[in-house]
Amino acid sequence: MIVEGTYTFAGPREVVWNLLLDPDVLAMTMPGTATIKRVSDTRYEGKMGVGIGPITAAEFDVVITMTDRVEPERYAMQIEGRGRFGFTRGHAAVTLSADGAATIMHYQADLMVGGKIAAVGQRLLDSVSRMLLKQGLEAMSAELDRRLAKGSG
Amino acid sequence: MDGHGPIAVTVNGTRHERSVEPRLLLSDFLRHDLGLTGTHVGCEHGVCGACTVLLDGEAVRSCLIFAIQTDGRSVETVESLASNGTLHPIQQAFHDAHGLQCGFCTPGILMTLVPWLEEHPAPDEAEIREAISGNLCRCTGYANIVKAVQLAVERRAAERRDVGKAGTTA
Amino acid sequence: MGQSVPRLEDEKLLTGRALFVDDVQLPAMLHVAFLRSDEAHGILKGIDASAARERPGVVAVYTAADLGEYWRPGPLLVPPPPIKDLVFNAATQVPLVRDKVRHTGEALAMVIAESRYLAEDALEDIVVDLDPLPAVIDLEAALEPGAQLIHEQFGTNLAAHVHQTKGNYATAREEAGLVITRRFRYDRGASAAIENRGIVAAWDARSEELTVWDTTQAPIPIRNGLAAMLGLRESQVRVIAPFIGGGFGPKIMMFYPEEVLLPWAAMRLGRPLKWIEDRRENFYATTQERLQIHDAELAVTKDGRILGVKDRFLHDTGAYDPYGLTVPINSQCTLLGPYVVPNYDSEFTAVFTNTPIVTPVRGAGRQHGVFVMERLLDFAARELGIDRVEIRRRNLIPPDAFPYDHEILFQDFRPLVYDSGNYPAALAKATELIGYERFLKEEQPKHRSAGRHVGMGVVTYIEGTGIGPYEGARVTVEPSGMVRLATGVGTQGQGHFTTFAQLVAEQLGVEVDRVRVVTGDTREFNWGTGTFASRGAVVAGNACHAAAVKVREKIIALAARLLDTPPKDIVLEGGRALVRGTPDRGFDLGDLARRANPLRGAVTPGTEPGLEATAYFGPDRGNAASGVHAMIVEVDAETAAVDIKRYVVVHDCGVVINPTVVEAQVQGGVAHGIGNAFYEQLVFDENGQLMNASFMDYLLPTALDVPTVEMAHFETPSPLNPLGTKGVGEAGAIPTGALFAQAVEDALAGSGVEITEIPLSPSRLFELISRAKAGVP
Repeated sequence: MIVEGTYTFAGPREVVWNLLLDPDVLAMTMPGTATIKRVSDTRYEGKMGVGIGPITAAEFDVVITMTDRVEPERYAMQIEGRGRFGFTRGHAAVTLSADGAATIMHYQADLMVGGKIAAVGQRLLDSVSRMLLKQGLEAMSAELDRRLAKGSG
Repeated sequence: MDGHGPIAVTVNGTRHERSVEPRLLLSDFLRHDLGLTGTHVGCEHGVCGACTVLLDGEAVRSCLIFAIQTDGRSVETVESLASNGTLHPIQQAFHDAHGLQCGFCTPGILMTLVPWLEEHPAPDEAEIREAISGNLCRCTGYANIVKAVQLAVERRAAERRDVGKAGTTA
Repeated sequence: MGQSVPRLEDEKLLTGRALFVDDVQLPAMLHVAFLRSDEAHGILKGIDASAARERPGVVAVYTAADLGEYWRPGPLLVPPPPIKDLVFNAATQVPLVRDKVRHTGEALAMVIAESRYLAEDALEDIVVDLDPLPAVIDLEAALEPGAQLIHEQFGTNLAAHVHQTKGNYATAREEAGLVITRRFRYDRGASAAIENRGIVAAWDARSEELTVWDTTQAPIPIRNGLAAMLGLRESQVRVIAPFIGGGFGPKIMMFYPEEVLLPWAAMRLGRPLKWIEDRRENFYATTQERLQIHDAELAVTKDGRILGVKDRFLHDTGAYDPYGLTVPINSQCTLLGPYVVPNYDSEFTAVFTNTPIVTPVRGAGRQHGVFVMERLLDFAARELGIDRVEIRRRNLIPPDAFPYDHEILFQDFRPLVYDSGNYPAALAKATELIGYERFLKEEQPKHRSAGRHVGMGVVTYIEGTGIGPYEGARVTVEPSGMVRLATGVGTQGQGHFTTFAQLVAEQLGVEVDRVRVVTGDTREFNWGTGTFASRGAVVAGNACHAAAVKVREKIIALAARLLDTPPKDIVLEGGRALVRGTPDRGFDLGDLARRANPLRGAVTPGTEPGLEATAYFGPDRGNAASGVHAMIVEVDAETAAVDIKRYVVVHDCGVVINPTVVEAQVQGGVAHGIGNAFYEQLVFDENGQLMNASFMDYLLPTALDVPTVEMAHFETPSPLNPLGTKGVGEAGAIPTGALFAQAVEDALAGSGVEITEIPLSPSRLFELISRAKAGVP
């Protein structure tokens, strides 16, 4: 499954960078009751819940490994998620470019999906993942606004 | 996991009181708890129609219903069709028209047709095919199933004509 | 013979009283669920079932380590035929994964619990440590040097290489007026019987007997194999294939993991065990067919006569190849069809991939061969400007050329020799029935000027059927006057209870419903191989016939002696043996049976008691059934939806036992063929994940998609068996892909759409139409 696109954040690059790497922000933007911990500088672990079609609230264990970090421009991630209804595995790359006072994020992910979710939820994978991504990005954007308003970054 | 719950359901005219797990499927309840194995399970996701039974007279997929949902209601399965060794007219028509081969999907098709034919006593071929389009058969290619339904319809119409005639004679 | 006797087995089936495997209920029975890999390829580092074992309601959990000595790969069921220079790498399935996962759905652990629900709950407690490996899916990439290996011991993903030739293609090609070259692709499908597989195993420790109910098409070989594996005598094991909800091929695959594990576990636990496959499991754990990629070439003269065919193809055998080369050899042989092909050069490579095992599914590879040949002829016809029926006519084997030897080896290891047939007459009949001339000259032009895309297809094919090795039957007249017939094959809806009874009833002069047939129970009959390859009526049928003939002779001999009349004057009629012309001088068969089994006194030495006989039949080789399919189809140019207006089948299965049963087999086969040609496709992604493992996304044809087939029969009796009969079970499914391609192309003539792949599906057809419009190849 290929997921790619761009999103514009109304904030400077450095603030957006910190946002993206903050485990609490990540948890908030991921679906279901998500908890993410930063285990090391490059590794995040946690749990999240996803519903796709006939399979509801499947809980996934998630491990994200960061690589190729060039602050505040870009980073890559190895993503592994596994739950009773299936698993996902793959990598993603994120680049941030400044655009005046805003930041344009370009993201690209190539994820393999397997297990029950892939076997019976195929027709929904695309639309659900886009929806989840949209929700996540909007939640991030809202958090960005809050931080800027507070003056933190 | 939730505990068991009591249900009282009438199946083929007999009332059964049981205590069931909420997640027990109606198809499993009928087949294994009540021993009514005429209803067959082909897919467990509501597409093949082999598990079709009547719930309060309406055709439903028993694999998509929990037993606990039938509390206080009435279910009819294929075992209710024949009586005293005589086949129901639809069963007889299936036999006469070679409308079954392995027979696995057949009970589901019969139960789909029984209420449908009550409402559609004079269907054409297109309507018959539409009516059974939710029942998958891998053996017959459907042609003789359609013929069986047409035969049943024809016989019933003939019967009504005879009854009608009998009724009109002084 | 030849009568459409209504089926004896119907009442039980219609009233829901027929016993299928999942209907078996035994006291203290436990339920089994399997943990299956959701990765297609990987190294199994460890598996921890301790939490699962702790779960209340769970009685046992077994992994490969727990099987100890019992763990071993299954037997090679079909060795490769004795073809020169054949390469075959045998790799058979394992009961539970021990080292390496090789396809999604491979069984990792077996959980036994008080209910299936609890067993499935426990599956989630099992922790699997699997190191994923890249999946090998693409056939060509699998053979490239450096490709990830599935079976490291071979050093290659090549499962087999076979080359068969006849004549000299290279020379023939030089003389050709035209050479057509194309690549063809025929993709995978599931058999999708409505009943999934299932096993119930029960061990009685006191009588030391094992009883197994199994949805198998081969109960006797299963009995023999289980006995050997479990260290039991064959007589200690009873395998029952009761009513089976459709076979279609995968239920003849033998020694599936579940089949070898449940009896073993039942013996250890001392309680009966039941495993019923659910539909999603069926997509992975039950075998399927049959991806092939062909690069084929046809050399013809300017007037369309075939000089030769060359075919190089890749065959996807899945992760293991226990069933040998049956499917690709069928493809290789069936390509020749009913045509004179003087030169043939066919080479195939079977390839291992990280997908479920491929074994025969209705058609068993024949449809691939038919697709390639029929399409090549269609393209040649178009380029040469010859009518497509005419080009076929010019190449048909003439009716006086039998037996016709194609010289290459068939799946029964015998040379491919056609026994009988009348192909020109069948083709003529089909074109007449479908109204070919009128359609071309009048109807189609009208449709076209009205902007409608209506096309016609006509294709011919051969179906090799009725192969050996053998089957047997035993006929017994009981004192009640009922006749008992037992045979080793199983039944999955083909009507054996009726057709076999007909054969016996005819010989013994009784009503068909006086013959009680027992099939699929190893306690009732000891020898046989199973129901597959359209051989039931031919091989088992002839055995039933032979046994009935023997009993007939015994009845006549006994009656003649008792009535003091020459045997030639005894007739069997109405359940009696009587003197011709004097019906009051005779005996009821039941009475004779009693007299043939005296409790006291002496018998003539050499007499056998009772009126019973056993006979076996093994044909010298398989026979050749044949047929022609024709179809009129309309394609909606905007949506690419396809509507079948008419479907005609003319087929020849030799002498017919029960016409209604035969027609129903053809109709059912056509439905299966329509599914494979247009709606069904197993879609594996590049990671070996099956993306449509449910009926929501794997589309079976419904009553709205299958027309009523118009049929005509030909009967060219087979000289290879006394009844003269040939098989018909797969006939409907074989040429449908080729037919769809031709008819749809005809409907879209002028659009540039060329169909070289199956299945089509509306979305794929839409894509092809769009690409043709845009000029993209």
